[in-house]
Order: sequence, then structure tokens, then C-alpha cells
Amino acid sequence: MNYFFSGVLLFFLAGVVTIFVRKDEWKSIIFLIAASGAQILILPTLFSSLIFGNSFSAAAIFSEPIGAATLRLDPLASVFALIISAGALLAAIYSLGYMKHYYGGKYSLSAFYFFFGLLISSMLLVVVVQNSILFLIVWELMSVSSFFLVVFENDKEDVRKAGLYYLIAMQIGASFLIAAFSWLGNLSGSYDFASFKNILSAQNYTAIILFSLFFIGFGTKAGFVPFHTWLPRAHPAAPTGVSAIMSGVMIKTGIYGILRIILLSGVPEVHLAYAVFIISFVTGIVGILNAISQKDIKKFLAYSSIENIGIIGMGIGLGMLGAAYNIPLIEILGYLGAILHSVNHFIFKSMLFYGAGIVYQNTNTRNIEKLGGLIKFMPVTSILFLTGAIAISGLPMFNGFISEFAIYLGMAKGFASANVSLNIFMLIGFSGLALIGIMAMVGFTKLFGIAFLGSPREPFDKTPHEGSTALILPMIVLSVFIFVVGIFPITIIQILNPVLRQFNNINIEQQFSSVFSLYTSLTGAFILFALIIFIVFLIRVYFLRNKKVEQFKTWDCGYQAVSSRLQYTGSSYSLPFLELVAEFVPQKTVVETQYEIFPAEAHLKTSQHDFAERLFVQPVLKFIRRFLTMFAWIQSGRMQQYILYGLIFLVIILIWIFGAM
Amino acid sequence: MLTAIQILFLIFVPFLFLGIINRVKAVWAGRKGSPLLQPFYDFKKLLRKGKVISKTTSIIFKIAPTVNLSSIIFAFLILPLPSIGSVISFQGDFILFAYALGLAKFFTVIAALDTGSSFEGMGASREVTFSTIVEPAFFIVIGTLALLTGQTSFATIINLLSASAGYTILVKILFAVSLIIMILTEGSRVPVDDPNTHLELTMIHEVMVLDFSGPDLAFILYGSGLKLVLLTSLLADLFIPVNVVSVYPLIIFMGIIFLTSALIGMIESLIARARMSHVPQFIFLMTALSLIAFAVVIFFLRGGL
Repeated sequence: MNYFFSGVLLFFLAGVVTIFVRKDEWKSIIFLIAASGAQILILPTLFSSLIFGNSFSAAAIFSEPIGAATLRLDPLASVFALIISAGALLAAIYSLGYMKHYYGGKYSLSAFYFFFGLLISSMLLVVVVQNSILFLIVWELMSVSSFFLVVFENDKEDVRKAGLYYLIAMQIGASFLIAAFSWLGNLSGSYDFASFKNILSAQNYTAIILFSLFFIGFGTKAGFVPFHTWLPRAHPAAPTGVSAIMSGVMIKTGIYGILRIILLSGVPEVHLAYAVFIISFVTGIVGILNAISQKDIKKFLAYSSIENIGIIGMGIGLGMLGAAYNIPLIEILGYLGAILHSVNHFIFKSMLFYGAGIVYQNTNTRNIEKLGGLIKFMPVTSILFLTGAIAISGLPMFNGFISEFAIYLGMAKGFASANVSLNIFMLIGFSGLALIGIMAMVGFTKLFGIAFLGSPREPFDKTPHEGSTALILPMIVLSVFIFVVGIFPITIIQILNPVLRQFNNINIEQQFSSVFSLYTSLTGAFILFALIIFIVFLIRVYFLRNKKVEQFKTWDCGYQAVSSRLQYTGSSYSLPFLELVAEFVPQKTVVETQYEIFPAEAHLKTSQHDFAERLFVQPVLKFIRRFLTMFAWIQSGRMQQYILYGLIFLVIILIWIFGAM
Repeated sequence: MLTAIQILFLIFVPFLFLGIINRVKAVWAGRKGSPLLQPFYDFKKLLRKGKVISKTTSIIFKIAPTVNLSSIIFAFLILPLPSIGSVISFQGDFILFAYALGLAKFFTVIAALDTGSSFEGMGASREVTFSTIVEPAFFIVIGTLALLTGQTSFATIINLLSASAGYTILVKILFAVSLIIMILTEGSRVPVDDPNTHLELTMIHEVMVLDFSGPDLAFILYGSGLKLVLLTSLLADLFIPVNVVSVYPLIIFMGIIFLTSALIGMIESLIARARMSHVPQFIFLMTALSLIAFAVVIFFLRGGL
């Protein structure tokens, strides 16, 4: 445990040290060295917790109101700490290449690394702190430090706007947590997590309301609909290394929070379980629908994070349902799917963000409609990006399939139950996850196909080239993990055993061994699959030997004046699908033409709206604004009025004091 | 011995399947028609040829036909066949089945986008759009079968299905119709798509493979034939006792496959291609039918909703 805390401290100190280093280059290098050093300190503890199921704890006495606080590193915390710590190292490597762009520029790299270090260390503390007040402090530290990272390019107005939006969303989420924690603190008389168990596990209205407050609070961080609106704003604004950390790692702390509360609440209430399941399902659908309509790579990836949070949430909901109906196999498959998908999403989403960052640095645009043919300029980046895209679409032999498979199978197991409502919800989830999966495929074939394939739609300012080693290396490392998890899933499922044991300790071994053998047979199937691909490939080589292979232009039906502008664009690619779901992805089209005798210049502008934001968020905001304008007269701008406030205040104080005397 | 003959037979069935469709259409139109094994001769011819590839394309274009064909072959190993059973069978294998076909689709689509042709982009766009309707409906079908039998792998589901009787016949018929809609959509046949029109704006699947030639095109054509047979086998599986080792199930199985191909030929002769905007409505019929089947199962199995 001491090593763990030294690692946490090292991340923080590395950030502090960069303030005193003058050369920008050295700041990156120092931070990278510290991040690698922190791995050496942190990882052994995490693995000993995950492999042997150990829990480490430390106690600290703080001054009031925190009091005695427990810090515990149990297997659940270790999984998330593993993502955080590994993600930090990869982002540090990536930033070594990516931040080169900003060396000697107008933005402060010290601020970047200081808040980067602070963000990582506060996230690592979030998963171990077991005292509500200390928890809220580190939780807020995490939100605030990530806010400063989002507004790194602080002279751009849209960046500042996005940052503020993010900060406000985080505070709203935190306010729910504060309400829940203080209520619990009042009821139990202690701020320690362990003392909440009795209250949370009682299946009454208090417990349900408390769980809902926690779900909203943590769900805002994770990005559940309708609290997801900050993601597509904040992710694109941040520098890429940070976007990857935020999307791949930070939103998982919300998932961690929800799982922690479930651990404390014991057997969940059935209706809550259904609610979590359905909210997650809606989150998945809304996320991917909006993703498909995006043109901005990073916005696309942000919405796809919302979709994946939905899938993780479906796993959580499934686990809760399994627990509520006392079907251990469903419970285990659900939680396994949720936790595994959190890890998997970290792997492929970080990778996709890193790839998007390389594209952005080379082309200065995030708009895929202006890109195309990048695979010829940056083959390695493109193939790695494709690997991530296939993985996130959940296709077999890549890691996304492994976690989605657990959730699918858990839902299929629900059909065997004699409970009709469970049957019906499982069917919604079963076909709904298929819908999410196929829509992810629509989205990611669009993203990859339009940006990386074909030929450039607009000439590049300068010829794009492969990213530097520091930029590529994190992607290569992640792609190795994609295949290790994807083809040999038992490696990771083995280390998740202690985590699942926390959720259900009774007869887990038997259930777990059946899951284990299931994944072993999956590995066998994948090896057979790879073998078939290899054989078919050999057949192809055989038939192509000493054959003439001619190079010619793409067949154009005899039309001679083909230009790359005639290619299908991302918008046209997704149009038929978006027309099918037009109610849910409303599109605004503005056409500006001047009608003259001869066709004149015309402009067409299309923009998509987030349906869920319009339906759930904007009415609330409108109401709050209307309500608050009622008090606008307080700030009138007249000095006399303000002096009057001071006077009234003094009079009240005087009356109060005299009254007390 | 029976198994070996069967495997050999399966390798040739895709050609026969396409041949029968063409023959039925020809007879219906009053022509004599090409030989039944014409698709096989085309296949052999294509394998012998060299190829022309577009300068715009990249490695994606080269590997796509291989991945496409391999995924469909792999999916075949999961499906239970009479007297063989399934080569790969475990709990939840139908998910792998659906996702293996998804991998095939993913590569076909990005290979189409790789050429930079607007035709192929259009085909790719339509292909994925229609898939978004077929895929969830297919999962409703699988889910209902799992509900009906309480099992989670193809082999056990099919085994139990042949034993059950009564109202299941209604469910089976509903599923048969749903699966035929799926076959028409995924196999790109009329009224969803017309495999004969290579160069009209109505086309979907055929246009995605415009730029392929030589052995690659042979792989793709064989792949699409194999996919038709794959989905038809799933349909046939609903009606035959798989676990009985004798010749009869095999005969019924093959009979259903050839009947289906004749049926597809008939549909193509009788119905015109649907307007592009009407195709989703046609495919939604599959969703509706499978939902009805689900309701029927819930009603009879669980004693009311």
C-alpha cells in the first residue's frame, strides 16, 4: 500500500517539478520518467490484489470533519487503478510526441503537466478512498484538474465555453453526490463507506432514493443519458492525450462509483435493476445514433464513448438483475461484461483518440469530409486505427467481442428463467445490443472508410506523414492488448475472478469455471477462424502466382472527368440510415442560393441535433433560467440598491446579536 | 463416408443454388436457361484470370475478399448440419455466428470505400443501412428460439426444437418467413436488390464489388453463394431432426435448400425490385414477424403475457 501511495505522490510531484523546469522538452521527459517510475511502484500492488485477491488498507486520521479515514485497495479498485495508471503512462508517452507542437508556444506546458499529474493522482485516490468527505475532495480535485486540462488552449472561445460547460456539469453531478453522502452520513452517524452498508442494503424508499442520487451523480461523470451532454463538448476541446485519458479512463471512475455503491447495497431492488438496464440501453442507442451523424472525428469518438458507457451499464444492469432474481450465472456474466468492457473500452478508445490526434496534427482538421486516402500517407497509423475500429465494433478475434459476448450470453441465459418480465427485458436488451453493435459498425466504417480510404477530398496543406515513434508506440502497445484479450480472453478473465468474488462469493467457483471453459472454447474457435483465414489466403496466393496484376484507375462507368470531389462523403454515406431514424437525429439544413438566370454560387449547411439533449436537458435548463430571471432584479447595477443591501444586512446582524443577548 | 460426401456436396451446393435460381427464372420467362453448373464454370474461369486493381486502393482491398470468404466458411462450422452436427459448439455460439458474418460485412464495406468510387460508396451505405434492420430482427429470432428451448447454443436448440410439437409449428412458420426475408436481404436478391443490374442506381451489394476481378471476384461470388446456402441451412435446421444419423434428415435438408432456391427464383420472376425507400418497410416485416413469434412463445410457454 505504501508503494501505491508513493506512486500516487510521484505523479503529483512530477507535475510540480515541471513548473520549475525551464525547457519545455524536459518537462515532457521528466513527466514520462516519473510516470514510468510510478508504474514500477504501483503495478506490483495491483497485480497482487488482482491475482491473489488481496486487499490492502491503510488508515489515516485527519482533522475534523473528515476524522478517521480508511483507504482500501481491493480487487475492484485495483482494476480501475490499473486502467488509470497504464493510461497515464501511455498518455505520457504520447504527449512527448504530441505536445512538441506546443513547445515554446503561447500555452503553458507546466500548467498542462501540473494538472495532468494532479488528475492522475486524484483519480488513483478516488478508487481507494473509503471515506465520503475525503472522497468528495479527491473527486472534486479530479473534476477541477481535468477542467484545466480541457481549457489548455485557453485563448480560443469555444474551448473556454466547452470547459465551463464541463465544469458546471461536473458540479451538478457532484451536488447529487454531496446530497447522497451527507444524507447517509446523517443516517449512519459516520462518513465511512463501511457504515453505509446497513442503510443501503435495506430495501426501502430511502435506499432507492439514495441509489438514484448516486446513480445520477456518478452517471454524470460516466456520461449516461441524459447527463451525457458534456462529453461531446469537452472531449474535442482538450489536447489529444487528455481526451484519451478523459474518455478512456476518467469516465470509468463514474462506473467505478456505481459499482462501489452496488457492492455496498448488497442484493439490489428489482425495479432499480430494470431502471439501470433500460437507462443504459437508451444511453447506448442515443450515443451511437449521434455518433453516426458527426463529421468531427473527436466528437464522433466522444459520442461513441457514450454508447460504450451504455453497453457497460447494460452489463451492470444485467448483473443487478441476476442478483435480484438470484441467478448467479447471469449476475457473474453481467458484472464480468461490465468490468471487462470498461477495460476494453479503455484499450480501443485510447487507441482511436491517439490515431485521431495524429490525423489532426498532420492535417489540421478534424472534419472527416475534408480527409480521405490517409492510408497511403500513414499506413501504420491507419492500420492501427482500423484495429481499434474493428475492436470497438465488437467483431470476433478483437477484444470488444469478448466483453459484449459475456453480456449477450448473460441476456440469453435470462430466457431460461420462468419470469416473463425478465424474458421480455432480456429480448429488448438482446436485440438492442445487436442494434447498437450494427450501428457501431455503420459509424466506424464511415469514420475509417471516409477519413483513411479513397483519395483526399481536399488537397492537404502539407503532405501528411506517419506519426513519430512517441505517437505510434502507445497505439502499438494497445493493439497488442486488443489481440491478447481478443484471442486469449482467459488471461484477463482469470485476473477478474477476485473482483467477481466481491460481488458474489457464494458458489462462484462453479459458475466461474463454466464461464472459464466457455472462453477457452472461444479461443479454440478463434484459432480455427485464424487458420481458415490463413488457408483461404494461401489458396488466393496459389491462384494469383505468376498472374498479371494490372494497376488502373477505379472503374468509373466510362465517365472521364472523375475527380476526388465526386467520392461519397461521410454525410452521404450515413444519409440513408439517418433518414430511417430522422425523428431521433433531427437535421437542420440551411440552403443559401441566389436565383439568377444562370446558376450562381450556393451554400448548403447541415447540422445535427442531439435529440436526447433537446428532450431532456434543454427544457430543464430553460425552466431554471426562467426561474432565476425572477431574481434578476437583485443585481440591478444601481449602486444605491447595493448600499441598501449592505444596510439591510447590518440591521439584520444587529437585531440578531441583540436578540441573542 | 456420409460425412465426406456431405462436405463435398456442401462445397458445390452454392453453385447449384445459384444455378437453380437462374434456371427457374429462365424457365419462367420462357427461355431455356444456362446450365445448372454455370456459376461453377464462371468461378473456374475467374480463378484462372489475372486481375486489375485500382490505383486508389490499399491493402484493405486486397485482404477483404479473403476475410469475407473465411468468415462465411467459419460461420458454417457453427451451424448444425444433419448427421455432422456443428463442428464448433458452445454456449452462445449463435452470437459468434452473427458476428462472424458481421466481420465479413465490415470488410466488404470498407473495401468498397477503399476504391473511392461514388457507386461503391452508395452500395456500402445502403448495405449497412439495411443491415441495421436485419441484425436486431435476427437476434429476436435467436432470442425467441433460446426462450422456446431454454438453451443457448445452436446445436442444443435445434435438437430440442425437432422434439417439440404443437404451437411450435406456428413459430417455425413465422421464423421461416422471417428467415426468407433475411435471405433475400443479406443475399441481395429481389425485391431488396437485383443481382443482375450491375450499373443502375438501384443496386446494393453488386455495386460494392464492382472493382474486384480475377480470383478475388471468384472468392466474393462464391462467398455470396455460400452465404445464401448458410442462411438457408439455418432455415432448414428448423424443420429437420439433426441428431438422427441416417440419410433421411439429409434428404429433407437438401430438399429444403433446393426448394428455397427455387422459391427465390420464383419470387424474382414474379416481383419487381422494390423502390429503395420501400425496402426498409419490407425488411421491417421480418422484425414484426419475429416479434409475433416471440409473443406466441411467451403466451404458450409462460401462460399468457
